[in-house]
Parts: sequence; C-alpha cells; structure tokens
Amino acid sequence: MPATPRVSPALQSMLDKGLLDRLPASFSAFCFDQMKEWDLLFPAERSYFERLFALLDRAAPPSVEGMFRRLRDVEERMGVNAKTFPKSRFSLEQVDFLNRNPLYAEWRAAVANVFTRIDPELDSEILRNGRPRLVMVVAPAQLAADPSGMWTRLEQRGRRIALDPPEDPAAYLPQLGATAIPQLYAAKHADPYSAWVIQAGQSLAPDHPGVVHYSYDALAPYRKRLMREVQSIVEAKEVAGPRQLSDRLKQLRILASEGAPANDPILAEFARAIFLSGNGTLLINNTFVEWASMQAVRRARPSVAMIGFGIRNKVKPFSSLLIYEDQDATNPIPSQADVLGSYVDLEIFYQYIWQEFEKYAEYRSNTVYAFVADGMEEMLVIAPPDFSLPSGPVKLPLVAQHLKEWVGV
Amino acid sequence: MPRLTKRRFLQLAGLSISHRIVGQALPPASRSDRNKVILVTFGGGVRYSETFAPEGLHNIPRLVAIRPQGHFFASCINSGVLSHFNSTASIVTGNWQRVDDFGFQPPAGATLFEQFRKQTGTGPLDAWTVATNKSFALMGAGSDRAFGQPYGANVVLPKQLLLEAVQDVVKRGKGGVADREAVLERLEGVLSEGYEGVGWTIFQAGRKLDQHVRETLLRGLIEYINGPEAPTSGDELTFFIAREIMREFAPRLLLVNFWDMDVAHWGSYSLYLNAITRTDRLTGMLWDEVEANPAYRGRTTMLVLPELGRDGDRNAANGFLNHRSGDPSCRNTWLLAMGAGVPAGATDRPIHHVDVAATAAELLGVHFPGAAGQPLRELLL
Repeated sequence: MPATPRVSPALQSMLDKGLLDRLPASFSAFCFDQMKEWDLLFPAERSYFERLFALLDRAAPPSVEGMFRRLRDVEERMGVNAKTFPKSRFSLEQVDFLNRNPLYAEWRAAVANVFTRIDPELDSEILRNGRPRLVMVVAPAQLAADPSGMWTRLEQRGRRIALDPPEDPAAYLPQLGATAIPQLYAAKHADPYSAWVIQAGQSLAPDHPGVVHYSYDALAPYRKRLMREVQSIVEAKEVAGPRQLSDRLKQLRILASEGAPANDPILAEFARAIFLSGNGTLLINNTFVEWASMQAVRRARPSVAMIGFGIRNKVKPFSSLLIYEDQDATNPIPSQADVLGSYVDLEIFYQYIWQEFEKYAEYRSNTVYAFVADGMEEMLVIAPPDFSLPSGPVKLPLVAQHLKEWVGV
Repeated sequence: MPRLTKRRFLQLAGLSISHRIVGQALPPASRSDRNKVILVTFGGGVRYSETFAPEGLHNIPRLVAIRPQGHFFASCINSGVLSHFNSTASIVTGNWQRVDDFGFQPPAGATLFEQFRKQTGTGPLDAWTVATNKSFALMGAGSDRAFGQPYGANVVLPKQLLLEAVQDVVKRGKGGVADREAVLERLEGVLSEGYEGVGWTIFQAGRKLDQHVRETLLRGLIEYINGPEAPTSGDELTFFIAREIMREFAPRLLLVNFWDMDVAHWGSYSLYLNAITRTDRLTGMLWDEVEANPAYRGRTTMLVLPELGRDGDRNAANGFLNHRSGDPSCRNTWLLAMGAGVPAGATDRPIHHVDVAATAAELLGVHFPGAAGQPLRELLL
C-alpha cells in the first residue's frame, strides 16, 4: 500500500510535504481512504480535496494545530494509533473501532468541530463561483393524491403554483421541460456530470450522452445479477461476515451489456456503490432514486437534476426474509402496486432530498426546486427571490421557459 | 423428509393438546406465585416521533391504551453503541456493551438470565429469549466464566428458522414461497434435521427437552403459516413462538425482541410505520396473554422499550433509514412498565437502558452485582 494515494499533481505536491502526516490519524486515514481511488472520484470530489488541502497548506501551522487540537486529544484518549489506524486504511475495522469506543460521541463532536471551522472558508470559494441550479422532483401520475396532500413537509418553504395541464397526459412532463432541460444543459456545458436524471422508470430518459442517467428499471439486468451473486456468496458461506462480504461486493462491477454507466468508470463505480452500499436500493425503486440522488448531491454536485419517483410494489409474503431474491422469480403471485405506501414514502423523501441539496453551498440561495406530480394541476416551487412565475393557472411551456432561463439554456 | 399431511397436522395438534392437559395436571415448579418479568424490545430501533410524540401516537394505539395503567418513563437513554446487538446486550447485562456489532461475541460479563438462574437455582425452562434478529444467538449468556451457558437463557430465533425453510423451498422452484405445503414440509424437515445449526440454541441443560420444545415450535410455525392472512412478518412468528413458550413453559424471565421495524433500512417509511403498528399490536397481544394466562396474571411485570432510536430527519445522513448518528433522536427513547405492582404514573427523570437489568433483577428477587444501571425505584415500591 503506498504511503500516499495517487492524486492530481497539484494535490500530490501538497501531500508530498507531509500534510497527511501532520493531521490526526483518524482524519488522515479517512481522507486517504476517500482519495485512494482518485480516478473514480467525480470532479467535484477531487476539487474538494484539492481545496481542503490547499487551505490546510496555506494556513499557518499553529492555526492548523488549533483546528485539530480537540480531535487529536480525543484520539489519544480513544487509543487511536498507527496500529488501530494505519495511515492507508479506513475500513469497517476502523469504523467499528470508533463506533464501539466509549468516546465515540466525543470524537464525532470533535470532527464536527473541525468542519465547522473549515467549511466556511471552503464555502466562501464556492459562493464566489456560484451559478443558478435547478432540481426537479417528479412524483408519478399513478399517485392519485389530492394536491393539498402533496409536499406537506415542505409547503411552508415554497409557493404552490396552479398549473394548466395539457389535454394529453403524455405531454405533461415534456411540456414542463423535464426531459429537454438536462439535455440542453449538457449540450451547452462542457463539464461532464453536471446534468443528471435519476428515476425509477424510464419516462425521463435523456437522449444525450452528456446527461448522466440512472434508471432503476433500466438497470434491472445489473440489479438481478447482483442479487444472484450476493445470494450465491451468502449461500456458499464463502465469506465469514459483513466485513468480508463488503470486500467481495466491491468486485461486482456493471457489465457493458447491463447499462450505459458501464462505459464510464466513475459512473460504473457509482452504480455499484448505490446498489451495494445503499440500504434497500436493490429492492425498492424509490429507495434507489432517493439514495442515488443523495449520493449524486454529495459527490457530484449536479447543476441540473431531474429526480423521478415511481410506485413501489407491495411486499410479498416472505419477501422480508429474502433480501437478495428476485420477488418476481420466487413468488408467482403477480406484483401489486402499493400506491398509498408510495405516497407516504415520497412525502418524507421530498424533505430529505431538499435538505441534502441545501447542505451544500453550491445550492444555497441559487437553486430552484420544482416539486411536480405528473398530471397534477399544482406544483410546489422553492426558489430564491429572483425567480418568479406568473400567478394563476400557468401553462406548462411557460413554466419550462422560466426554468430554462434560470439555468441559461 | 416426512410430508406434512392433514393427518400428521392433527397428530401434532393432538400432541399439543395432550401436553396442555399434562401441564395442567402437573404444574411445573416455575408456575409458582413468584414474580415473572417479560422484557419486550422494539428492536431495530424506533424514534420518539413515530411513537410517543404527539404526532406518533396513532402508530401505537395499544401502548397508548395501556399507558394509563402502567408507569411511563418519558426519557430512557441509550448511551451505548447504537447497534442492535450491543443495545440489547446492554439491556440484559446492565452494563454498556462494546462487543462485536454483528453478534459474533457474547455480551461481556454476566446477563440477567444467568444471575437469575444461578441465584435462584431455577431450571433451564425458566429463562428464554425469543428474537426476530437472527444475530442474537449469543444473547442468552455472557462471557463471565463464573456464569455462562449452564445458567443462560434458551435462545430461539424463529425468523432464522423460517428463513432456512423458505430459502430451501425457493431453491426447489415450482410455486416458490406461495406453496405453503412445501414450506410446511420444509419447516418440519428443518426441525427434524437439527435446529442448532439454523440459528437457535438450546443449552446443554435443556437438551433432554428437545422433543417438547420441537413440538412447541412446530405448532407455532404451523399456526403462523396457516394464519388467516398471508404472513409477511418475522415478528408475527416471534410472537407466536413467545406465546407458545409462555403457555407451555411459563418461564419467569422472558425477553422478546421484535425487529420488523428495522425494515426502515430499506428506505420505505410506510413499511417502517406499518412495522411499528404491528409491533404495537403484538406487544398488546403479549400483554393480553399475560392477563389471560393464570401462570402470569397478577404476578408479571412487563417492561417495553425500544432498543434504540433512529436518526433524526434533520442534519443526519439519511434520517429514519439509519441509527448511527448519535443524535438525540437516536439515543432518546422511552420505557413503559406495566403489570404486577406497577404504580400508574409517569416519570420525566432520565433513566438508561442499563437500568432495566437491575430493575428486573430486583423484581425477580435477585441481586445484580457489578451492574452499571440502577433499579427503577418507581417500580419497586
């Protein structure tokens, strides 16, 4: 294992000065672990580490020492050392060590304290280079909810806009720009990974190679193979426990025949991680959409994101016992849609998704959030003051025009 | 493998009846006037906001209805490791546990089960753990060599038993899990083939009871599979098995770990809420059994508590899906005590999960030296 990960030349020159070595062991090991597969990181992640270490590099040593003093003190009392935290490793073993340590809560507080001091400086750089962004969250037409029952956890933060839907239900999402805007954005901007579509079904499928696209339905071949392989690993008892299983799962990459993400190593690894490190993402379409969206925000910071939920199926008898089995294959009873359950699930997911975007400086104060339900006469918009829509029932093409203007396409 | 025919089913049911008749004629020593304690955990973790917070009360109608008769501790804090095994092990040992999260190590020290059995000299039928969480195989006895398995609780993991059965049926194809006859056949096979390898253990002292235990479990499984609705829940099975154990063995100390609500990890809030309501219903049914069963009525204290909370909706990694943030939503839970001698009321003072073992020990008339927790004086008047 190398003493430092292979990173960009700019970052490498900083690490060569021994920056990692001067940081508390748990922090340093975590950073190392995050950076070790540099080629599989999104540009936003690479930029973050470059900015983080540039900040630490240019700060006066006493200032850096002060920033980490509390964490270093907790680490010492916890028994963090080169043996428990090898410089190059932050695996489940280290996570376990921290979780089971009586001082874990103190350690978490100390880490939070570090970021409280770092984040404002890093955020100020982001804010200087901010640009308008758009997030559209689409509920499925089958939801059959009353508009007043939609987005209840967020309605105080935005404004309900009355819409004038088209006669043809199939024209609803296209007229809103749900399919066109990511494509126009990707076509206009050279930076990859800036326009994303994450959906349960395929109604928002983009027709432009520059749009990152993950669809639960479209990835069915990969999902089903993963489930088969995991089931086979578990049944064969080839792994001793969750830690060993985790190592094996890292090898289960998407094949070219299983979906477009296979063509890009970063997107291929993202797909693998979403399915195998996110709870329930293999089993429930909307969990996949939510978790993939959360991870996209954390890791890639898309400028335009279309997030399309679906209706999840009812849980079949015994399926809770068969986590890695394909329900359709193991039970001949036809799958049934759980409309009410999906509605309940989505109401909380809208909140989680909005919160996640708002955690990051890239989105605060310059993002329009459009919560729409396919076919519904109302939408919820949370937006900065300088974004406005006319009042009264608004025709969808007019909404689309405003959204396009907001993101400059 | 024997096929479970209707005749065989009736034969088993007949055996069940005969056991009950024998049980009535010759009451075991455990059916005495002495106190009994049942610990019920909302395993998997549940937040205040979905239970005893005003907006959560509709999810737990049975507990809400029972609360006025019991004593409600509004702040029961889990200050330990926020994993399932460590949380429940802290409850049964009275000390914060920091052992393997996945159940590969026994709890450190002695458990309540061992203290109880060693000090009272009661037999292996008097302490049981029935757990939906399949990693709880080692929950019945701790690592203290002065105690250990000879004094431990019988541990039954019904869901794991069913899992083995269902997986086998699925592998054979043709109808899959919809073929209940096949599931039943496999269940009987699993029980006949040797159950220790499939997720549950009967300690050495209890092995001569295998036949009786096997029939009891099989009966529970048959009822479960043949229930009026398609069974989807490991907790329903855990309830049936726990109730069978209460009826057949009337143990003085019983831990029932429900766990369906951990479905929250799948990311479905509605399934999580459904599981909470189901756990509430099953807990209520356990309480009904206490009230109806002469071996328990008037001499049993039931302590109900979540083993941990779950992450809060704000500023956490992914809200209700997880339980590792250590935020107040994750640590602050509640405890509801009901039953014999429990004064009706409520207490706001913070108590801790480790207080449960010390309290149960006093209720059972035994000491718990070395426990970090303190007995809840509100229950020991």
